[in-house]
Amino acid sequence: MLESTGEGTTTAAAGVLTLEKFGAESALIGREMADQYHRYNIDTEEVDDVDPLPHRFLVEVGKVGLAKFILSEVFHYGLKPDVILSRPCTYGVFSGPVGGFLPRPKLCVGCLRCTVQHPDFVKVLPNPDLLALGDKYTTHGHITAIDEESKKGMVPVRGQGYRGRFGGPGFDGMLTDMSEIVRPSRDGIHGRELIGTSVDIGTKPMHLSFDSDGNIVGKTPDMFTIKVPFVFDIPPGDLGTQRLAEVLNSTCKRIDTLACMNASDVLDWGLDAPHIVPVVSSPSPETAASFPKARLIELDAWNKQAFELLRSSTEALVGVRINFTDGWQETMMKAVNNRADVIHLNADLHGRGGDGRFVSDLLKEAHMLLIEKGCRDMVTLIGAGGIVSADHLPKAIISGLDAVALDLPVLFALQGRSHGSLQTRDGVKGTLPRKMTNDWAEQRLTNLCGSWRDQLLEILGAMGIREVRRLRGEFGRSMIVTHLEDEAFEGIEGYVSGGAA
Amino acid sequence: MMTIVKPSQTLIEKTTGLMQDGMNAVAFGEYGIPEALGDARWTDELILSTWYMAETGKIPDGLNYKTGKSDGGFDRLDFKFLPESEWLRHSEEIGTTLDLNRRGDAKRKLTCDIPWYGGGMSYGSVSVNVMMSRARNSARWNSFMSTGEGGYPAPLMECKENVITQVATGYFGVEEETIQAAPIVEFKYAQGAKPGLGGHLLAAKAGEEVAKLRGSVPFVSLFSPFPFHSTYSVEDHSKHLDWIETVNPTAILSVKVSTPHDVDMVAVGSFYAGAHIIHLDGSYGGTGAAPEIAKKNIAMPIELAIPKVHKFLQAEGVRDRVTLIASGGVRTADDIAKAIALGADGCVLGTTDLVGLGCTRCSNCEGGPSGRGCPWGLTTTDVELQEWVQPDWAEERLHNLYSAMQYRIRDILRKLGLSDVSELRGRTDLLSYIGKEAGE
Repeated sequence: MLESTGEGTTTAAAGVLTLEKFGAESALIGREMADQYHRYNIDTEEVDDVDPLPHRFLVEVGKVGLAKFILSEVFHYGLKPDVILSRPCTYGVFSGPVGGFLPRPKLCVGCLRCTVQHPDFVKVLPNPDLLALGDKYTTHGHITAIDEESKKGMVPVRGQGYRGRFGGPGFDGMLTDMSEIVRPSRDGIHGRELIGTSVDIGTKPMHLSFDSDGNIVGKTPDMFTIKVPFVFDIPPGDLGTQRLAEVLNSTCKRIDTLACMNASDVLDWGLDAPHIVPVVSSPSPETAASFPKARLIELDAWNKQAFELLRSSTEALVGVRINFTDGWQETMMKAVNNRADVIHLNADLHGRGGDGRFVSDLLKEAHMLLIEKGCRDMVTLIGAGGIVSADHLPKAIISGLDAVALDLPVLFALQGRSHGSLQTRDGVKGTLPRKMTNDWAEQRLTNLCGSWRDQLLEILGAMGIREVRRLRGEFGRSMIVTHLEDEAFEGIEGYVSGGAA
Repeated sequence: MMTIVKPSQTLIEKTTGLMQDGMNAVAFGEYGIPEALGDARWTDELILSTWYMAETGKIPDGLNYKTGKSDGGFDRLDFKFLPESEWLRHSEEIGTTLDLNRRGDAKRKLTCDIPWYGGGMSYGSVSVNVMMSRARNSARWNSFMSTGEGGYPAPLMECKENVITQVATGYFGVEEETIQAAPIVEFKYAQGAKPGLGGHLLAAKAGEEVAKLRGSVPFVSLFSPFPFHSTYSVEDHSKHLDWIETVNPTAILSVKVSTPHDVDMVAVGSFYAGAHIIHLDGSYGGTGAAPEIAKKNIAMPIELAIPKVHKFLQAEGVRDRVTLIASGGVRTADDIAKAIALGADGCVLGTTDLVGLGCTRCSNCEGGPSGRGCPWGLTTTDVELQEWVQPDWAEERLHNLYSAMQYRIRDILRKLGLSDVSELRGRTDLLSYIGKEAGE
């Protein structure tokens, strides 16, 4: 402990402090602080497939055509093996033991050089089995992206420009902004590691009160922090197995986030832990005591009596799950006015509310309603439904969420296959790979989290925003394609706002 | 590990012969359209029609060479042509010249014979063969191509009057000599495909020659940071331009920016800082490597940015003193004409050049699983693969492609009753929007 003695002389509690000693001790303290500092990072590691998706392309080679070509090559270039042995593929599709007679389509990346170079006997076709995955909202493109992210844990990087449609419905109709020459912060590519992705779960008063001695009186913040702005939601449909629950448990512990699970499952499987959120439907006075480690307990729907019972019997934060069905606004305000700490809003898996509106609009309404009522910071908004891509994460936060709850991505991260609905939670039917081990699954989910967090950092870095908490409800940092079109194309014959004729 | 060596002349001739014959056979319809070719922005027909034009110099019959299927932007815009009886005669008298210096200052009075020029593709992201073919083609059109941020390979000096030197955030390959040699110096603040993220040349592509030119060591990933760490205001930006003016007082200055919400303010700021060219790079533009999340989501497509900036410059009263260039998702002559009608003076092309040389948009430019880069020899410096693009062949392909595109630009102008491309600027009244059917 250093103490000032005035007159420019500094002494240590254990004797006179010389300049040399000051330097040495400062360096030591600095070193100790540095050693204790841990910059948050998600340790990703590429893992092998256990049940790979269908490969992207089918490669068909006409054997007669190939044989004729080889004979012709031998005839023309017989003494030049480098010429005869050259292949129209740098990826090894034709480099198996018998070359093009038994191509290896899983290596094909679709450059099409082979089929252009030999259109008479080579065909490359999109694989219909891959195209058949998913549905109109969660497309095979989303599924393959999640699969790649979960395999490698990296940000997908490719050459060439964007290949998809112009704007689009739902989150595709929202663009994120960036800062050009004038930037609010000096975050460049070398500053991304300093961008914070932590979010606070819980409640804080809209102001602090102090007594005449300067001590805080009244309500103080009641919250905890998780390191990433996403949590795992209750696995939809029939996915809620003990195996998956154990994997979610270990993954959450590893990356410091939360997993919501049915309270009965938490009890039955002995999973009570600080990062597990039991979801209770009919609490009894003893319910909360069953989850002594939980930091947050959710009620599965608003019920004042049940809420008050739960609230009075636990030190944990209490959240309420609310579906975007008729009257959700009123229900949400009742819960907030009764001091719910967390509101967990649910759209269907296509991101639609009961009235058909998309979740980004619904979230904006929820966020703005809380602001208008002057209580936005008194509650944490978590939302689920329609989040199947890394870009949906920042867009949902821009729309007003504090944190996003992930549902379907878990199935695809673990190379599961869907056999049921991908729209309604109850209708989801999925199969996880038989060869899945807990370690493999944990790494896959960790990789997905790492990849999505890194992609979030890309978005935040481009904006010059230093922490994700500042992104919440920042509608001004997004651009809506239809609004931009109105501005750009207004007055052009035939243009009607929204694009419909 | 297999050693990659420069291929023998026989192998080069065989491979390039097969590739070129195959491209022609497919583009001329001798075989069906490859089922796996194309995407919403660059459809199979757009790619094949570009190949056709690059081979013949003519507009193809039976292929849609005008639009993609992206369901928005250029693909939903069309021209309101006059009745056929009022069309002008097709003529080389229909002007396609682009003025690049409108400030009326003492710097070069540069023009292009066509209303577009070549965008930056750095040495490292593409080979010298590709750069040389683009530069020589630019010289034939009295146009320009940009070095991108990777330095200035010595052979380019042959075409120095048509080569733009780019200064970007990593300052890779920036030398006084090459700035002094350049008629135009381009500051790249951001790139449309990855706005706000900087650049990244993967280690596998940073070979010895590439690294040497960039002042680095071989096979180390090279990052261009974002932003310029010397620029946090328009005033800082102005100092940048002053610096170039000091090194090369006659060069005109281009500022390349992406398309954020406040792109109009950025454009005006750049004008007042001294820019002759404001180059907007929209979010659907090409790249050698970019995060997929950035391409789709960050900043706005060029079609939406052009009118915003054009109108703002008009309102500021400076529109006629600056050249507004659009890039990032501009694919065809029709796109160029639409961009001009929306308010640009001209465009910059990158991907179109590569498609003309065989690119199928497979997205493996950054290396792909092979780690060697483009299997067509375009976006690679691999000693074998780069030989698949021979400069003479490539130059001729680009010249043919540009001839067909210029023809189409004139065709559009004459059908609109215009005798010069400059008359098209900002004429949104000559455009129509193809509305969506209900429920589409």
